[in-house]
Amino acid sequence: MRLPFTALAAALVCATALAGSAQAADPIKIGVSGPFTGGSSSMGVSMRDGVRLAVAEINKKGGVLGRQLQIVERDDEAKNEVGAQVAQELINKEKVVATLGFINTGVALAAQRFYQEAEIPVINNVATGTIITNQFNPPDYDANYVFRTSAYDVLQAGMMADEAIARGFKKIAILADSTNYGQLGREDLEKYLKAKGVTPVAVEKFNIKDVDMTAQLLKSQAAGADVILAYGIGPELGQIANGMAKLGWKVPMITSWPASMQSFIDIAGANGNGVTMPQTFIEDQTLPRRKAFLEGYYSTFKVNKIPTPVAGAQGYDSVYLLAAAIQQAGSTSGPKIRAALEDLKEKVEGVVTTYDKPFTKTDHNAITRNMVVFGKVQDGRIVYAKEEDAKNAGVIRVKEKASN
Amino acid sequence: MTIFLQLVASGVAVGMIYAAIAFGYQLTFATSKTLNFGQGEALALGALFGLTLVPFTGYWLMLPLVLIFGFALGAVVERLGVRPAVKIKSEYGWIMATIALGIIFRNVAENIWGRDDLKFPSPLPETALSFEGIRVLPMELLIVAGALLMMLAVELFNRKSIWGKAVVATSNDIDAAGLMGINTRKVITLSYSISAMTAAFAGVLVAPVTLTGATMGAVLALKAFAVAIIGGLESGLGVIVGGLILGIVETLTGFYISTGYKDVPGLILLLLVLAVRPVGLFGKAVIKKV
Repeated sequence: MRLPFTALAAALVCATALAGSAQAADPIKIGVSGPFTGGSSSMGVSMRDGVRLAVAEINKKGGVLGRQLQIVERDDEAKNEVGAQVAQELINKEKVVATLGFINTGVALAAQRFYQEAEIPVINNVATGTIITNQFNPPDYDANYVFRTSAYDVLQAGMMADEAIARGFKKIAILADSTNYGQLGREDLEKYLKAKGVTPVAVEKFNIKDVDMTAQLLKSQAAGADVILAYGIGPELGQIANGMAKLGWKVPMITSWPASMQSFIDIAGANGNGVTMPQTFIEDQTLPRRKAFLEGYYSTFKVNKIPTPVAGAQGYDSVYLLAAAIQQAGSTSGPKIRAALEDLKEKVEGVVTTYDKPFTKTDHNAITRNMVVFGKVQDGRIVYAKEEDAKNAGVIRVKEKASN
Repeated sequence: MTIFLQLVASGVAVGMIYAAIAFGYQLTFATSKTLNFGQGEALALGALFGLTLVPFTGYWLMLPLVLIFGFALGAVVERLGVRPAVKIKSEYGWIMATIALGIIFRNVAENIWGRDDLKFPSPLPETALSFEGIRVLPMELLIVAGALLMMLAVELFNRKSIWGKAVVATSNDIDAAGLMGINTRKVITLSYSISAMTAAFAGVLVAPVTLTGATMGAVLALKAFAVAIIGGLESGLGVIVGGLILGIVETLTGFYISTGYKDVPGLILLLLVLAVRPVGLFGKAVIKKV
């Protein structure tokens, strides 16, 4: 009896020692969830590649807490149920420390409650649904584990409406797709316009995969619209631009941010020129930090344009924010990282902005309205829509305190 | 008035897209009383296959290759999905089998071509033509002409060629045709091949106006199914009329009622037809002897 016991004890000691030493060298696992195939894949792939680039840079400099970062990528196919499965796999099987991602608002809402329950922070770097960061607000919950580095919908809708009014348009037509994204956006737009005392002359709906936009456009035209505010994603926004060209009716089109998707540019072609949309990031190399990012992205992934620049930049920045939080927390425990994110001491220099206290306990959105500019489609690229923005490209727009 | 005519013109274009796809349903139903529920996927595969060929062959040379591809695809569907069910006289086996094959085709297409919506190069200029204020894309005219030509060609084949006559004979009375020495099994295979061929052709025809992708057929095939039922599943003329009705009703509803209710009147029409005349507007009412 004696011998086996000693052997067992020895084995145990060995095993613990092994596990201990493995712990020190173990990489820090970070989950990445996004659609890498499918209709919104240009956003998902850009985001993922931005994340990959940032992780490679950090690892080259020695990683975080002396450990390398390791990303675990999973394709959520833009489907809510797949997103929920991915979340459970990343949490329970891969045991990630935090997760970055979510392109689609629906997927974010379906998946992030698992992170909330497991007390693992998740940073939304593309999805824009306003409710995303408000789902687990205190005091209903002890702490909110959901953060965001993208411009949320209420903010975008307000910008679109203000832009239309500022440019002197009186008769506004709203076109929105029939998904949650489009209809929530339409609501935000209508609410905002109402507050400004403007009633849109037409409010029309279209379905994903709709072939023909004639009815929607003719109604807007018959109502005398002098501008179109469109809330949808790349392919259908492209069909609207093409439909206007077909009808020979040309009024300015201001859309939600997905008109910067590659699919919009491909589908609308020349008809897309001049369409404007809110953007947090424009591919412009004035600042050395952005120049280095763009050069790194182009050469690593062998492209001459980021398919969806905003998604790439926000994905890239989300890694640096998370790394800074882990560093500050000095640990990979979820609650500690969350606390660090809510009170980041160090300024994090990203490509969208330099983050100076991006989050607080009550504000989990890193982007405020002053940080978002209008982009414009021009010959296959997104450029600054306004000259003053282009001129100020070298000025970093930092977060306004307490404006969220 | 211009607005009304513009809506009708756009409705006709959309309606002919539906009709071109619905035509394929009608072909197989006539011979075997079965349908290919994977018709939308055949459409998507045809369009994607065409899209891959275009850079090498150009638009016009691509067409015959897509036709051959569709022909082969139809034969595969019939052999794997329909024949086993027909052989054992299963009433519903072919439904599940063709749906299953459709899902497999879609997944294969997603793996090969990805799931992005792609732009199909238009063989015609993309600027609209104006007829007294009514604006039409050249591609929309090509869709109408191409779909009509395709149906005409199939009709001619059925009336003039020996194989076509066998198809007609099988449609009229499969048992009698079998007794007269017609290989009805081969005829059914042939009808599936022609059906998938028309779907693949419709795919490349509509792709420059719709978008190209593995899921492009999902909505279109469903609408086409409604068209086939409205027009009558056994009538070629029926699907054209049914398609035009649905297309025009959709655009008119979108404008005069609400774009949110665009799809509703088509479905109401479908229910009405089923209630009043279940064989469709142009279907032949036959009494099934048991």
